[in-house]
Amino acid sequence: MRCRLLLALLAAGAALHAHATDWELSVDARLVTSNAEPSFMEGGLGTVRYDSGDAGLQLGRLRLAVTQPLGDLFSAHLDASMYDDQDRSPLGITEAYLLFRPYPFEGYRLRVKAGAFYAPLSLENRESGWESPYTQSFSAIDSWLALEVRTLGVEGTLDWLGTRLGHSFDLGVTGGVFGWNQGAGNVIANDGFALTDRQTPVFGRVGQPADQPLEGAEPFLQFDHHAGIYGGLEARWLDRVVVRLLHYDNRANPNDVDYVADAYAWQTHFTSAGLRIEGDHGWTGIAQWLDGETRSAPDGEAGSWPFKAAYVLVAKRFGRSTLSARYDRFEVDSVGAEGDGAQSGHAWTAAYVFNADAHWRITLEWLQVISSSYNRDDLGGPPLLSETQVQLAVRYALGSRGGY
Amino acid sequence: MLLAAGGALATPLAASAAVLVISVQTPDGRALAGAIVTVRPLEGPPRHATPVHAVMDQVNRAFVPDLLVIPVGSTVEFPNSDATSHQIYSFSPAKRFQLPLYRGKPYPPTHFDQAGVVTLGCNIHDEMLAYLVVTDAPWFGRTEAAGSWTVEVPRGHYRVELWHPRARDEPAELTRELTVGEADRADLTVRLGKTLEPARLADRAHSWD
Repeated sequence: MRCRLLLALLAAGAALHAHATDWELSVDARLVTSNAEPSFMEGGLGTVRYDSGDAGLQLGRLRLAVTQPLGDLFSAHLDASMYDDQDRSPLGITEAYLLFRPYPFEGYRLRVKAGAFYAPLSLENRESGWESPYTQSFSAIDSWLALEVRTLGVEGTLDWLGTRLGHSFDLGVTGGVFGWNQGAGNVIANDGFALTDRQTPVFGRVGQPADQPLEGAEPFLQFDHHAGIYGGLEARWLDRVVVRLLHYDNRANPNDVDYVADAYAWQTHFTSAGLRIEGDHGWTGIAQWLDGETRSAPDGEAGSWPFKAAYVLVAKRFGRSTLSARYDRFEVDSVGAEGDGAQSGHAWTAAYVFNADAHWRITLEWLQVISSSYNRDDLGGPPLLSETQVQLAVRYALGSRGGY
Repeated sequence: MLLAAGGALATPLAASAAVLVISVQTPDGRALAGAIVTVRPLEGPPRHATPVHAVMDQVNRAFVPDLLVIPVGSTVEFPNSDATSHQIYSFSPAKRFQLPLYRGKPYPPTHFDQAGVVTLGCNIHDEMLAYLVVTDAPWFGRTEAAGSWTVEVPRGHYRVELWHPRARDEPAELTRELTVGEADRADLTVRLGKTLEPARLADRAHSWD
């Protein structure tokens, strides 16, 4: 009897052990020099994260991520970050969701997420914490997503695992239903595109309410009972090529105004297509394109801001080092708003990433953005501006798996 | 490692036996290592290899080894030596099974009682991939770096079949029949008709890449 009890206890202990929490903790410090204008977080129209007043040592990101299996087929994921600038709270949650992952059946695999997370669009931000192995600053497309776009809802993905059935490709289809993203579009219509790696926490702000000249934006708002939707397709050829398509529409009513919160809805939709190719000898190429529009019409003042952005990235890995170069183009038009918010520009990014071991990652990045902005001109600044930011980032990570 | 069965070649050949050397080449004539070769007699009573007990570990988010050839009726143990949990599955017709989320060695060995290729994956870590080739052939093995595999067989008629994870030829195109006659040695060279699937990228390479 005692022996059976002991065996039962041992089995229970083994089960608990198997469901232990995975965690990661990382701190990312930066040494920065920049000649940029004040950024979107300070009410300015600068197009990079750090401006000329930020020279010196900065906290890039302090991050804690936890994954907790719940039984055999569910897991809970939490990603929390602290940045060096002000938000509603010192620590914010960038992603938090429950994942349902039943076993693949007859070559098909279903995944269902519920909570707050990124839609499957980015091809560069493939590391944990939605970070990029190629550069420190995200492309203009992914920077915009990081600032304003998040799924607060449910997403289902069905994959056909052809590579497990003797074929050379896999296919996937994704659909999402979400709310609380009817403020997405505010930043792009007012500030335009930027290149940053700051991820707005869920229910966080981009900038502050009283900032001058541009007040903060709140992307995570819901004004009505309309759910946003998105749908996507993905095709993979072996482990070398990924193609992604995504159409997103937050289905907000552009006439909706919340007078208490002093905010109005932004009807935003976009389509994105991207391609990532990985070849022999450590080469990676990524190309991505995004085209969309945001509309707002509070109190009959209708305005529309069509926007588009694209980038091309080439990276080469040498052992533990990766050299990357990226070219971004972006443009925001202004329709019916007398030119307000119009912006166009391009950016060059060059980065050297050294993954010393499982704990240390060092990145040296040079980023130059050349942009013209109607709003900057309107506020007395130069319409055409070249901004350069150089940063040395040192990240130390540890966790249940010994680092990343 | 359970890669080959058959007579030991260090001892002198029995009068009724001969050495069969099978060489596998890519369409451009280069030696193909890692191809699975099975040899079945076309006459006489059915013969099967003796079932074995094998181990396929999980280390650094990879199966180790990532390919096993085992006789029908064998058992395989799947310990997880990683700190992170794995969740093993197969939806291959030869063996559908799953091992719920685990670390260490909580499950008894899995029994494989049907011939065929079993593709293994982890439901948590997509990059994990392994194959179990379950065979009812009495002789089987895997080609060496020089692209050949050698076995001692009784004289007679045989069917030789090849399989490689990256081969794109139909099974019938990779099947040959031959007679091992009076000579002490018989040679068979099989050249693939189609180029191999590209290998995985270097940092994710498997033993067949």
